[in-house]
Amino acid sequence: MKTLQAWFGLYRPRYASVLVYMLQNTEYRVGPYLKWYWRTQDFSKVMYRRTLDQTRVAKLLRLALLAGMGLQIILGLLLIVLWRWNDLVAGELFGLALIVSYPLVWAHLVVVPLILGRELQTRPNERRLIAESKQIFADHPGVKIAVAGSYGKTSMKELLLTVLGEGKNVAATPGNKNVASSHAYFAKRLTGNEDVLIIEYGEGAPGDVARFAATTQPTHGVITGLAPAHLDRYKTLEAAGKDIFSLASYLKNKHIYANGESAALLPFAKKSKSIELYTATGSLGWKVKDIALTPLATSFTLTKGKRSLKLTSGLLGKHQVGPLSLAAALALELGLTEKQVKNGVAKTVPYEHRMQARNVGGASVIDDTYNGNLEGIRVGTELLASLKAKRKIYVTPGLVDQGKDTKAIHQQVGKYIASAKPDLVILMKNSVTASIQKGLKTANFKGEIRVESDPLDFYTNLEHFVAAGDVVLMQNDWTDNYA
Amino acid sequence: MKTIAVIFGGRSTEHDVSIVTAIASIIKPLELTKEYRVEPIYIARDGAWYWDPKLKDIKLFTSGDIDDFIRRSHPVSVQFDGGMTLVKSSGIAGRKQLKQIDVVFPAMHGTYGEDGSLMGLLEMAGVPYVGCGVAASAIAMDKVLAKQLAVGCGIATSKFLAFSKAELERDSAKIVKQIKSDLAFPLFVKPAHLGSSIGISRVVNEAELRNGLEVAAHYDNSVIVEEAVQNLIEVTLPIMGFADDPKPALLEQPMTKPEDFFDFETKYMQGGKKGKGKGGQKNGGGAQGYSQIPADLPPALYAKAEATGLAVYKALGCSGTARVDMLIDSKSGEVYFNEVNPLPGGLYAHNWKAAGISSVDLVQKLIGLAEDRARHTQQLTTSFSTNYLKQF
Repeated sequence: MKTLQAWFGLYRPRYASVLVYMLQNTEYRVGPYLKWYWRTQDFSKVMYRRTLDQTRVAKLLRLALLAGMGLQIILGLLLIVLWRWNDLVAGELFGLALIVSYPLVWAHLVVVPLILGRELQTRPNERRLIAESKQIFADHPGVKIAVAGSYGKTSMKELLLTVLGEGKNVAATPGNKNVASSHAYFAKRLTGNEDVLIIEYGEGAPGDVARFAATTQPTHGVITGLAPAHLDRYKTLEAAGKDIFSLASYLKNKHIYANGESAALLPFAKKSKSIELYTATGSLGWKVKDIALTPLATSFTLTKGKRSLKLTSGLLGKHQVGPLSLAAALALELGLTEKQVKNGVAKTVPYEHRMQARNVGGASVIDDTYNGNLEGIRVGTELLASLKAKRKIYVTPGLVDQGKDTKAIHQQVGKYIASAKPDLVILMKNSVTASIQKGLKTANFKGEIRVESDPLDFYTNLEHFVAAGDVVLMQNDWTDNYA
Repeated sequence: MKTIAVIFGGRSTEHDVSIVTAIASIIKPLELTKEYRVEPIYIARDGAWYWDPKLKDIKLFTSGDIDDFIRRSHPVSVQFDGGMTLVKSSGIAGRKQLKQIDVVFPAMHGTYGEDGSLMGLLEMAGVPYVGCGVAASAIAMDKVLAKQLAVGCGIATSKFLAFSKAELERDSAKIVKQIKSDLAFPLFVKPAHLGSSIGISRVVNEAELRNGLEVAAHYDNSVIVEEAVQNLIEVTLPIMGFADDPKPALLEQPMTKPEDFFDFETKYMQGGKKGKGKGGQKNGGGAQGYSQIPADLPPALYAKAEATGLAVYKALGCSGTARVDMLIDSKSGEVYFNEVNPLPGGLYAHNWKAAGISSVDLVQKLIGLAEDRARHTQQLTTSFSTNYLKQF
């Protein structure tokens, strides 16, 4: 019955919209779109969380798909008619085949204009823009800080922007735009009067970071951490580390700051003594003491000789102390006053969906749904373990793009969750759920485990599941193309 | 998977409140547990029962489409077969659709639902049900009986007098004279059996008293007149569990001025905007959003009020859940029992949430209590063999 229902999903009127929705959600990238398409069993359930964003491109593609599908059906009918009235040999078979196959044919034909457009227009344009941006970056007199790493890049970029922005004219790459073309568009908008540029590097495949560095020519570099991510392209963590640390090589290991709390990163960082490590104990000669954590804020004191600076941030968790101390220390080195640094740190708040706390009926719900890596899971569960609560609830679907190590990584996720000792673990049912459950079992987890089949329904109705005194940590969220 | 029947609507002035309680506070969290099959049973204003999955959708009621639904639907009947089974004609070749119910969750407010009537039917059917039993419901819904019982148990109440509608119709002048002689203005005049503040008047002189008596008698056959408590702090306490081991939620304080009180309009239609209490943390997530949780009282007074609430719950033999309303004279520190609501609107889920119990946990706990009570009842011996018939 379910198979029949899934099969009918191919012939529903909104099928063309579903294809465009899939393209839109994979940012019109042919590979991820086709992977999603081939993985999908029931197309009636694809467009679930959101609806198609009616952009000009989306409308055009949908129209082209509908026209193509319509033509194929007409052609099929024509062949059947010719077979019936003009004895066209095998006309009925070809006609039926055309009519039945139109959903599959057009799901694949739709990528042709995308490939052509990319190869003939987008890529040449981007290559030209990137070449132009190389000169813009070379000519720019400001301090250029590159931020790279498997996780925490966007948060570090926003943190530096907020703190340095208190006393300097700072520009940073917007949102999570962190690939070569984004850097090129960013360069085009620069005035040349900025004191500091912050450029996020979004590594995705071997050689990416070295290429970004060659184009943007940074003067400083921050490496936020190393963890399994994009292993479908890097294959190994070693390969990802090498690529990320090509930033240090570019800077000849000068003015390069690495997260000393990322265990996987340390073997790379220790290759050069001039790489500065930042940790929750301090950065750039400043020492950290008196760390205090609540579900709403993190505070600590920075000291260096007789100088002392008490800082409070809206960022959550002990793992934020290292990045905050680096931002503060770097700001002081770049000439900001202590008051400016204090004010800047006080203005730091969680980036949307990254350790963002909110009150739901008296419960503290920490939204970390943009977190998509193992290290993020580790620090999140560490935070959950450190907070006081009447009841602790942990929610996750698991991680995506974990390559061949998916099972092992999710067993580790289970172990990390167990270490936070939540009373209730809610897992969103998918291909990695069993591995997380295995990890929980291995770590002898004693709390309750609930598997939810409908994440959207759960998130929408969260208020019904929580009460005052609860602390809920939600880590990562699978969008429609992964679910 | 257990089947839970949620019964709501009914022949009561609180029909509409019951619909909201059922759909928002009971059916929704029950379905979220994914542990129960929920069957909605709607009792229309004429008393006919309807059973259909469409009745879980609040839009059916807010849009007014419920009238069309009733016109097109067959009422459901109930079969008592050692339990409770819903029977509905499917309209196809006389076939009948049957559904055996494991637990009933009444979501009825007011007459024919919250007053013990429905509980009596469910007791006869032998089906476990959520909330207070027949006697506790009947006493709680009769403000006069509840106060008389409380006085008998040594629980303080404000001074009151009670009259039947027939007495009022016979000689209202005599009754007004008696009230003026025994009680002091300001007074509250209330229908004895209605909740949700329907038909209640606060009166400060004889003319208003006459009018208040007339209004109350319009809604009920029994009217109670109470002396207003001076230096008033109004508090309410939701409680859950059996009478021998009740668990309180948090004492809740409506944000009103002493001279103000909540009528139906303020409580349910204006979101409590009429109240202009002193500062403090207002409860934004409450069903009515008009109160402070926990009540801002000195610890000793808080403890005294909580103890009074629990004593009332025990005295009335409540079980499942109920809400005890109390009046405090802030100067004397005296706590007076006011009334008991055996099925609080929205289950007072906002208060339980503030006390650390989520909506989902609340409905699950209440179902658990219903099943426990049914188990205990089954263990009782209800028959006794004699040779009486043989001698006849």
